[in-house]
Amino acid sequence: MNTNLNTEQSIYIQIARKIEDDILRDILAEGEAIPSTNQLAALYKINPATAAKGVNILVDEGILFKKRGIGMFVTEGGKRQIIVKRKEGFYEKYVVSLVREARQLNIDTEELVEMIKRVQHSGQ
Amino acid sequence: MATVLECNGVIKRFGKTTALNGVDLTLDENKIYGLIGRNGAGKTTLLGILAGQNFADEGSVSSYGLPVWENSEVMEKICFSRELSASTAFGPDTRKVKELFRIARIFYPNWDEEYAKRLLVEFKLDIKKPINKLSKGMLSMVSIIIALASRAPITFLDEPVAGLDVMMREKFYQLLLDDYMENPRTYIISTHIIDEASNVFEEVVLVDAGRIMLKRNTEELRAQYAYVSGREDTVSEAIKGLQVVHREGLGKSLTVCVRLNGNEQFEQYDVDVSPVSLQKIFVYLTEQYESTANAAAPALA
Repeated sequence: MNTNLNTEQSIYIQIARKIEDDILRDILAEGEAIPSTNQLAALYKINPATAAKGVNILVDEGILFKKRGIGMFVTEGGKRQIIVKRKEGFYEKYVVSLVREARQLNIDTEELVEMIKRVQHSGQ
Repeated sequence: MATVLECNGVIKRFGKTTALNGVDLTLDENKIYGLIGRNGAGKTTLLGILAGQNFADEGSVSSYGLPVWENSEVMEKICFSRELSASTAFGPDTRKVKELFRIARIFYPNWDEEYAKRLLVEFKLDIKKPINKLSKGMLSMVSIIIALASRAPITFLDEPVAGLDVMMREKFYQLLLDDYMENPRTYIISTHIIDEASNVFEEVVLVDAGRIMLKRNTEELRAQYAYVSGREDTVSEAIKGLQVVHREGLGKSLTVCVRLNGNEQFEQYDVDVSPVSLQKIFVYLTEQYESTANAAAPALA
């Protein structure tokens, strides 16, 4: 897990997102236990209550589930759920800001599409 | 959540100065609180009164339902590790470090000698040295070790990192969190170096001019404010109806810090929205608090 937190977002949202990233990259497999709240708090040097809040966001969304007295686990189908959720946010978070910046720089639609194709072809 | 310490209507005067001007505060079990305020805001006075080391002129302080003042049963549950200084009112403090540890061992029933020894090694502190021969950083370490090893259910640290370099400050917060997770307790930690500590505080208590300005969950407080910047007219349009706590402009550009109400639609405007650090929130709220306090005060003759 990448251990750098930024100041751009609430800490617990970043914790939730980092767990999601690890699930997307198969670092955490479905059915597998995630690190404990205390482990996360120690890793990121944050209050354990904040770490717990981040984990609980994913429990509420059904991406993680709690086994009483054992810990938190990745739900079967959790990875798919993250992909679906992030796709919904993709337009707002990336496409809108991409188009807005392009407009500021007077990059027209044709040029923008050309740039996207260039990235895809270079295999990045 | 259980309340471990509570004060109501606390007023403390020193001569003509009112150091605390009606403080109400309730602390929950096993939370880490950050106490933030400018110099002279009343932080140390408040901690002294909460710990029963000083009395309030008015108001009450109770812990676990019992009054704190002159109550040894309660006071041994509260450790207030003050900032040490090389000299006392009676001249240089020539006591050795180990003497302070001996006193702490007697006073705090939960004192953990093994842990204290481990911390001494960790901080490379020589217990045979007299207090007045310690550097500022070493003085900070002594009060940190006493506070941590006291294992008191309520522990106060007043400016614990003031004399420490950046490496030692990181180490301190790491040690604090490690121990807190193994042995949870209630902490109040005052500090001027706000942003590096803010992730450790579950709640922050902002004090100014002898009053509690605000007490809030740290993350919730941070999420409540944002910078909005862009062209002056666009920004003004985008933030209509929101409370502005800070504003700075340059030519036609404007950046404001606003208090969000949760249903902003900034996407429809050509503005940048970015988060505000806890330190900046503290600065803006204090400025605002002081300007309204001054406006409300009667004009001087």
